[in-house]
Amino acid sequence: MGMENKLARALLIGGAFGAVCSSTAAQAETALSICYINHPVQVANVAILQKWAIKQGVKLTKTVTSYTVYLPKITQMLTSGTNDQCDIIWNNDDWGQDLAHYLERLDDVPNARKVEVGQLEPFHTADGKTTAVSMTTTAGILFYRTDLIPEAELPKTWDDLVKISQTLQSEKKVKWGYVGGMSYTNTFFSFWWTLWNNNCDIYAPAYERDNKKLAADGWKPMIYSPCQVQTAEFWWDALNGKKISPLGMTTYSRDEANAIFQAGDAAFTVADTTFLGTFNNPERSSVAGKVGIAPFPVGPMSDGVRTWIDVWGWSIPKTLPSDRKTAAKKLLGAMLGDSDGQIEQWKQTGAPPPNTDVWPTLEKNDLTWRRLRMILFKPDHVHAAYYFRNWATVHKVYSDTLIRAMKGKREDIAATLKASSDAIRAGAVAND
Amino acid sequence: MIVRSTKLGLDEKERFMLFLIAPAAIVLACFEIIPILIGMNASFRDWSLVNPQRTWVGLKQYVAVFTDPVFLKIVLPNTFLLMTASVGLSLAFGLALASLLNRPFFGRAVVRTIILLPLTIAPVITATMIRWSFNDQFGVITNFLSYLGLADIGWLSDRWPSFALVIMTDIWIWTPWFTIILLAALQGLPPEPFEAARIDAATPWCIFRRITMPMLRPVIIVCVLIRAIDAFRTFDQVWILTGGGPARSTEVFSVYTYVLAFVDLDIGRGAAAAGVGAIIMLFVGGVLYKLVNRSVEVSR
Repeated sequence: MGMENKLARALLIGGAFGAVCSSTAAQAETALSICYINHPVQVANVAILQKWAIKQGVKLTKTVTSYTVYLPKITQMLTSGTNDQCDIIWNNDDWGQDLAHYLERLDDVPNARKVEVGQLEPFHTADGKTTAVSMTTTAGILFYRTDLIPEAELPKTWDDLVKISQTLQSEKKVKWGYVGGMSYTNTFFSFWWTLWNNNCDIYAPAYERDNKKLAADGWKPMIYSPCQVQTAEFWWDALNGKKISPLGMTTYSRDEANAIFQAGDAAFTVADTTFLGTFNNPERSSVAGKVGIAPFPVGPMSDGVRTWIDVWGWSIPKTLPSDRKTAAKKLLGAMLGDSDGQIEQWKQTGAPPPNTDVWPTLEKNDLTWRRLRMILFKPDHVHAAYYFRNWATVHKVYSDTLIRAMKGKREDIAATLKASSDAIRAGAVAND
Repeated sequence: MIVRSTKLGLDEKERFMLFLIAPAAIVLACFEIIPILIGMNASFRDWSLVNPQRTWVGLKQYVAVFTDPVFLKIVLPNTFLLMTASVGLSLAFGLALASLLNRPFFGRAVVRTIILLPLTIAPVITATMIRWSFNDQFGVITNFLSYLGLADIGWLSDRWPSFALVIMTDIWIWTPWFTIILLAALQGLPPEPFEAARIDAATPWCIFRRITMPMLRPVIIVCVLIRAIDAFRTFDQVWILTGGGPARSTEVFSVYTYVLAFVDLDIGRGAAAAGVGAIIMLFVGGVLYKLVNRSVEVSR
């Protein structure tokens, strides 16, 4: 056999071997697609998943979607039963109930239940199984400038907030006392944190989220109750009278509000704790290292500070083939078991680790965590959403009503709020 | 000799014509006609995206839209105001610019290119740019206006300033479109009537009013017809600039439909709103079409 023939045969055998190996490798690698939005905590959590995907031989494709189209896209995907777009999806308590029956039950994912009491309920199926595992707990918190306000002088009440703001503004230390998102879907960062801290809510009884109990009580809107009127008047004064907040704040999303706070133009803001990392990042914030966290100031009718805490989670569509479901669950389980990864997520973003078993480690070593835990988890909580089909519609009606009140005369506030009472009730009753 | 197909009664030429238009017809059917039929079907059903039961409810969704005070008192007036103001002012500016560019001057080609730039930018990007330019804290334009002593205008937070901004953005985007079409029309006009008018010592304004405008009228009306239909469905600029706010006060037809379908996830009601819009546009389009025909007849 000539040298030429030997070489040809060697190449042929080598090529065939290579082809077999590569095809075996390709078959062995599971491909998963994860769909989410470009939010710091989601990006940080996806990094943990990516790390474990490599270890588990999973090819993780990241599909980042705009927040405004995320819900319609995912809902359409789930309801049409397609299984070729997203294997793991971001799930939010706001729509967790709507989507629950399209999602895989995840109780068999290790550590799936390691969350604060009541946090997974919005993702439960009718028989109490969870359809999401936590990526973090999202909660709003009051951020303040530590270089301007000593801890001992932090505002305890709305009046304190106004006085401190006005003082700092008059001393030209800041342009604004308080900034926060106020436009639709950013209601939490202005209207709602004050509402919940004035012994008030959207429906009576306040803070109840059990639909049966709310229905038994007739889905009574609290939109023109004294506590709500007082809350609206506080914001009207903040914008128009005492001017501690910019007049244009009615249009702000958290992006605009965060930008003003990060530029050093405001003394206080309320945002998700997940922005702590961004606020303290010198490359993105001119107030890095001067940002502290504090409990919410309370209104005149409050009976104590109340925080909102809710889980942001990952879910798996029910229609996935079983091998992809298994791979996705294994990946989520690995993330929930990764203490170091979750602590890194906390350090990067200020987002609490999803697995509560990791918390004691932070409790021992991390001063900021201890303060955050005391502020967020010690007081009473409220869920930031209601869990019925038309909740998004009601939320929008509420947001439009309050903004309309902000743009009108102060003496018209009560009437403006009362005009939306029927629509807010109808939104809930339509689900009965 | 004409060869006739026995089954369809088509001759060879007709079959060839059908063959030529078939690809376009298939695309039209797949991406226009069938989706419209599906949408119309949805509009007669109780069709929530979350729980698609698709129960037949007849005209219930249409009745809900037609009796919605927000639709009648805010959305429709806003839509027609935007349509009228944007089309009217874009036409006026476009005509002025076209007349300017129709004269020879140094750098005309460069100016013509620059004027066309807004048309090459996606409306979403233009609207985002305007939103940040008029941001009350960081906006370049708001800061400049403050420097001039014109502070305290809620450009994005008050109804009329924000609606004016929507109209202005739309004009900014669409003026070049009018300019380029009217410039082409101006350059195609015969020179003789203009020369005769100049010999008769007609003033430039008189020439413009008595000769240019009547000769441009058919082109103008076709432009207005196309743009009016397009303006009725304006979405990007309004959604990015105001989101329909404050408190729905700048909501236009397409935003109203979008909110129903993709915020409330009520596909049935959203499809009915789209259907109502189609009915209104058919009516408006019909009136404008008659105007076009009449104008073309008159200009002949």
